[in-house]
Amino acid sequence: MSGRGNIPVSLRAMLISVLAAPLTLWAAAAPVSDPGAADQHEFAAAPAAHSPDALPLATRSLVNYLVPAIRLVRDDGKDVTLIDELNDGRPVVLNFIYTSCSGICPLASHIFSQLQYQLGAERDHVHLVSISVDPEQDTPARLRAYAQQYSAGPSWQHYTGSADASSAAQRAFDVYTGDKMGHTPVTLVRMAPGQPWVRFDGFATADMLLKELHGQGQVMAAASPTRP
Amino acid sequence: MLACSLLAVSAWGRLKPLSEPALKDAEALYREGVLPDGQSLRGTRAGGEAIEGRAAACANCHRRSGFGVEEGRTIVPPITGRYLFRESTGASPMVHSGAEAVSSQRSRYSSETLARAIREGIDPDGRTLDYLMPRFALDDASMALLTGYLKQLSSHPVPGALTDIVEFATIVTPDADPVKRDAMLDVLNHFFDRNNAFYRGADPTLQGPLRSHVATGRSWQLRVWELTGSPETWEEQLQRRFKADPVFAVISGIGANTWEPVHRFCERQSLPCLMPNVDLPVVAESDFYPVYFSRGVLLEADVIASRLGAEANAGKPRRVIQVFRSDDIGAAAARQLAGALAAAGVTVAMHELTSRHPARELSGVARDAASADALVLWLRPEDLKALPADASAPRRVFVSGLMGGLEKAPLPQTWRDPTRLTYPFDLPTRRAIPMDYPLGWFRIQHIPVVDERIQIDTYIACSILGEAASTMRNDLVPDYLVERVEVELSHRLINGYYPRLGLAPGQRFASKGAYLVRFADPSGERIVADSDWIVP
Repeated sequence: MSGRGNIPVSLRAMLISVLAAPLTLWAAAAPVSDPGAADQHEFAAAPAAHSPDALPLATRSLVNYLVPAIRLVRDDGKDVTLIDELNDGRPVVLNFIYTSCSGICPLASHIFSQLQYQLGAERDHVHLVSISVDPEQDTPARLRAYAQQYSAGPSWQHYTGSADASSAAQRAFDVYTGDKMGHTPVTLVRMAPGQPWVRFDGFATADMLLKELHGQGQVMAAASPTRP
Repeated sequence: MLACSLLAVSAWGRLKPLSEPALKDAEALYREGVLPDGQSLRGTRAGGEAIEGRAAACANCHRRSGFGVEEGRTIVPPITGRYLFRESTGASPMVHSGAEAVSSQRSRYSSETLARAIREGIDPDGRTLDYLMPRFALDDASMALLTGYLKQLSSHPVPGALTDIVEFATIVTPDADPVKRDAMLDVLNHFFDRNNAFYRGADPTLQGPLRSHVATGRSWQLRVWELTGSPETWEEQLQRRFKADPVFAVISGIGANTWEPVHRFCERQSLPCLMPNVDLPVVAESDFYPVYFSRGVLLEADVIASRLGAEANAGKPRRVIQVFRSDDIGAAAARQLAGALAAAGVTVAMHELTSRHPARELSGVARDAASADALVLWLRPEDLKALPADASAPRRVFVSGLMGGLEKAPLPQTWRDPTRLTYPFDLPTRRAIPMDYPLGWFRIQHIPVVDERIQIDTYIACSILGEAASTMRNDLVPDYLVERVEVELSHRLINGYYPRLGLAPGQRFASKGAYLVRFADPSGERIVADSDWIVP
């Protein structure tokens, strides 16, 4: 197992990164215009703004992951293989969640929701993939309910499967910690099959992900998706 | 130092203890994100996402106990009054695995600085709070309510844990099998004795640094609460027992036909009820205190449903016959399966076995089943033995492994081939190595193995209790025990019969699947998997 479980060291690192963030940054920030806020009803008094810069800065690296032939179950109940799901020609943005999670996952899924919104007309040309790290609890039905909370469209799919399949998927992308509650925020982006994966450790905001997707030219440059 | 204490006293001294109705309001705010006027609590997460109501509730991250939790590299800190306001107790310092590191690095909160933290995300020393903490919109009245709630949260004397001795109870229903009951008690008593053997006295300096699977903080005492009479009277019996003899938690235990009054008692009394030996639990995942190994025969019903239902979807009409006794748990399982199959368009015939010597009844059922697509038997070994050995068995038979004795199910030879047994455990060959540890412990403790499954399950329950309790150290609060069980459970490598165990908020059943198995040979106990691990 990697050293990711070393809490005291990481906690110091986190405190240091929090202390380093200028206090004026969030105090002066104008209320963040949340694209998703359009469909939320008005409140009498709103909570204080929470700056997007409050998220711990993600570090970016390039990695060539080998995706093994893993059988998963998609949220529509279909048996699929991970390789096929990732290789329909579209760019892929990938994260790991579980539906009982209260800390990291709501943030991570909200980012995907924002990304989906910001992609606008391009959204069906990008495949958003969320894999469960608590597969025995996260049945397709539970995943559908979770996806609905975040307004997931048809190009954002959630996956479950056997405990072994989920572990294998986590290991393949080096996010496995042996325990669902040990997970840390990671987002992975791959522009096309055969290209390396861009790994964000920490929270990659929707803006960062969008930039990543556009950085290689037009998103639509990839072949149109072939959905089984 | 004295000046600080006086200041601290004056800072929260202004807060009066909450009245009963105010406490209820505050609890709703904390646990469910509902404000006293009925509106939803509103907050903003890092990144700008607006949250409200349940999604905004403090308890989601800080947990019901207020002691917080660790997630990955993040520690959600404790926010009970003793941590926030550093009320001096004179007792040994409260230590939560990572909390001490967090709270010792900041000054104590006052009502004012706490309000600022919740609204604006700044701690008493002017530092920004961790990104996971949202900003909340709370008016002054709600803020005072929440502050008063946090001040008293998990800060009261805990029944059963007032002294050096922590009291536990195990509950036995009157219809429980006496052999199983004794086998369970044997394991429990040895476990408690062994825990107390490590107890070295009240002075913490005499406690070793070891973090064994047995808690070493205090001496433990086990009460055995044997219920009598009909289930309608059990809750009242338990209330009387608790009043006379308060306990900190309920560990293991054994039931037969129903556990419902026990479940209800524990939930109402806020008593953790950890992993009883029941094959028919109560399914209520929004409850908090009762926690189970699995859904038992209800899980088996769903596994059979998923096998049969999947085939019904292929278009072929199906007729299924179920056999059960109305005074046993098979009845509930049969009803569960009937409901699931009906939804899949399968016709279900329900046969209640009534005779004490059911050979003739079962022959009749077998004849009827010749024209059915499947026969499902929710029967105990003595009834399985009475199946007609001479007649040809129906084409497909499902047998409840839990009720029928797993691979020891005494099916007549002609019935073995078409039978698929529901098997909510790891296969015997696969679990042999992890089982060595508890079985070895039984040998060392001179515990005769008279019912391996019950005794292994009881051992696992004790082990889980020990591990969870050892991470609580001096914060002995019932809610916290349940939360630590949730966290520690998935770290375990030794899970007895179960391939893996896992829990989380909203999950009360630690093992979630089963195999369908068939007999490998015409006689003997060798079984092979007829399916993958099915999680219905």
